[in-house]
Amino acid sequence: MKSSMFAIIKKDFRGITANKRLFSAILIVPLILTIFLPSIFVFLIHFAPDDPDIQKLLQMIPLSIQYDSLELTIAGMIINYIMPIFFLMIPIMTASIMAASSFVGEKEKHTLETLLYCPLSVKQIFRSKVIASFLLSMMVSLISFFSMIIILETEIFFLMGSLLIPSISWIIILLLVSPAIALIAVTLIVRGSAKAQSVEESQQGAIFLIIPVVLLIIGQFTGLLLLSSWILLILGVFCAILAWILLKKSMGRFTYEMLLK
Amino acid sequence: MQAVELQNLSKIYPGGKQAVKQITLSLNQGEVFGFLGPNGAGKTTTVKLLNGMLIPSEGNCRVFNIDPVYEPEKVHAISGVVTEHAQMYDNLTGLENLIFYASIFGISSSESEKDANSLLKQLNLEEAKNRKLSSYSTGMRQRLSLARALIHHPRVLFLDEPTSGLDPESAQNVNRMIQLLAKNEGITVFLCTHQLRYAQEICTRYGLIEEGKLLVSGTLEELRAKILARITLCIRATKVPDMLSFKKIGDQQYEIDICSENEIPGIVRQIIESNGDIYAVSAKKPTLEDIYFALTSNAKEDLK
Repeated sequence: MKSSMFAIIKKDFRGITANKRLFSAILIVPLILTIFLPSIFVFLIHFAPDDPDIQKLLQMIPLSIQYDSLELTIAGMIINYIMPIFFLMIPIMTASIMAASSFVGEKEKHTLETLLYCPLSVKQIFRSKVIASFLLSMMVSLISFFSMIIILETEIFFLMGSLLIPSISWIIILLLVSPAIALIAVTLIVRGSAKAQSVEESQQGAIFLIIPVVLLIIGQFTGLLLLSSWILLILGVFCAILAWILLKKSMGRFTYEMLLK
Repeated sequence: MQAVELQNLSKIYPGGKQAVKQITLSLNQGEVFGFLGPNGAGKTTTVKLLNGMLIPSEGNCRVFNIDPVYEPEKVHAISGVVTEHAQMYDNLTGLENLIFYASIFGISSSESEKDANSLLKQLNLEEAKNRKLSSYSTGMRQRLSLARALIHHPRVLFLDEPTSGLDPESAQNVNRMIQLLAKNEGITVFLCTHQLRYAQEICTRYGLIEEGKLLVSGTLEELRAKILARITLCIRATKVPDMLSFKKIGDQQYEIDICSENEIPGIVRQIIESNGDIYAVSAKKPTLEDIYFALTSNAKEDLK
């Protein structure tokens, strides 16, 4: 990678992290989703396990995923079945905020034109922006994952006296599905940003990406659809291929004239 | 090799507006070329065409023999551009901005810091260099843009209204700097402006453009010869002979249009011979402004 592209990536990263308001917004929502929300579940099952609805739910759970105790089984379900879905949402949110501010934001503030006068092709600028947004969303995903694991495991250990090992799905989620979805989100936002005139306009596009994830969350909560490792793997491969195609198609589309409109 | 060449260059925007109409001209290395015309004449479009930001509808252009349509990055590597819409980052300081742009041009941070500091000093921005750009005034931003355009030691400078928004002192400072860059470092300058007085101070050659069309180009002397050859002779004398058809413009102030400086001694002699006392004689050659107005009014008459 050219050092000039690295300079853009570094600058974009700094642009987000230096803007405390924006950066805390990027971090707070994922942390609420991945720490606050499951903690409530864990406390709930510890202090109110006799609820008849929970008993009914337990009867439906396949034996293979049941742990020694009732509490641990439910906690395991939360960690391994409910939480992964949030890790599909986090990269979309982060990537859209970052991509919108780094591409449309530059257009809005008239700094994109200056960048275009530099000895980089539109493709290289586009690639640097995609990499920057992608890396940030991966960073936020990983921070969220590790803080979630540390906090939930501590809670579970102290409340239920044992540790839960996260399932294999997490590897697929963190290394395949989540990066692929982040890439799709970034590419779509950057693609749309050539036409969008404001950051808000381009962020609105990201809402359409959230819809399928919200449906998955509903499916997961109501038990209509339980994502197994295999389904996740297929979903991940599909998203990765889609991301690659979108990226390839978008790269060739941009011209200076189009961006300066 | 010509530094900048435009051949039959035209640009029609998708909406159908023809912004540039068949312009042909060339710039020698080290020349300060004034591209003059009112707002909306097509100056900025020409700069964008020369940098590959726009694709010509007809004709072609080259910067040091590189075609910006095919190799825009190479053109960008040797040119510095200042336009109204090429802004910098508000969340970075003046110095950080310059170092960032230098790094995109592949300059190491130690070298760029040295160059940036010296440019900031030359442009009187030294005190503000560690302040965020959001606190800069329009004039300071404009000067920093010039520093940004110079940070990678370009061979050509495309300056679109570089002195707009500057106070007279800063404008003069910037003009002096542009002149020195051309003279000492051989940088070719393509200067777009509508401030004709400033242009006359620093440019070595001019091109006058209106509604996308290049009306005329050449040095000031060439333009005078082509457009407005007259010289206005102003004389302060007690009296002038009637036969000289002087125009009285004030108390003991007379004015006459002549074709050449060779006529002056004869006129002065005639006044003295008719017992007039002369206090002052000055010959005013047409300024760029005079030529420009003469030219545009001619063009309008032609249209009628």
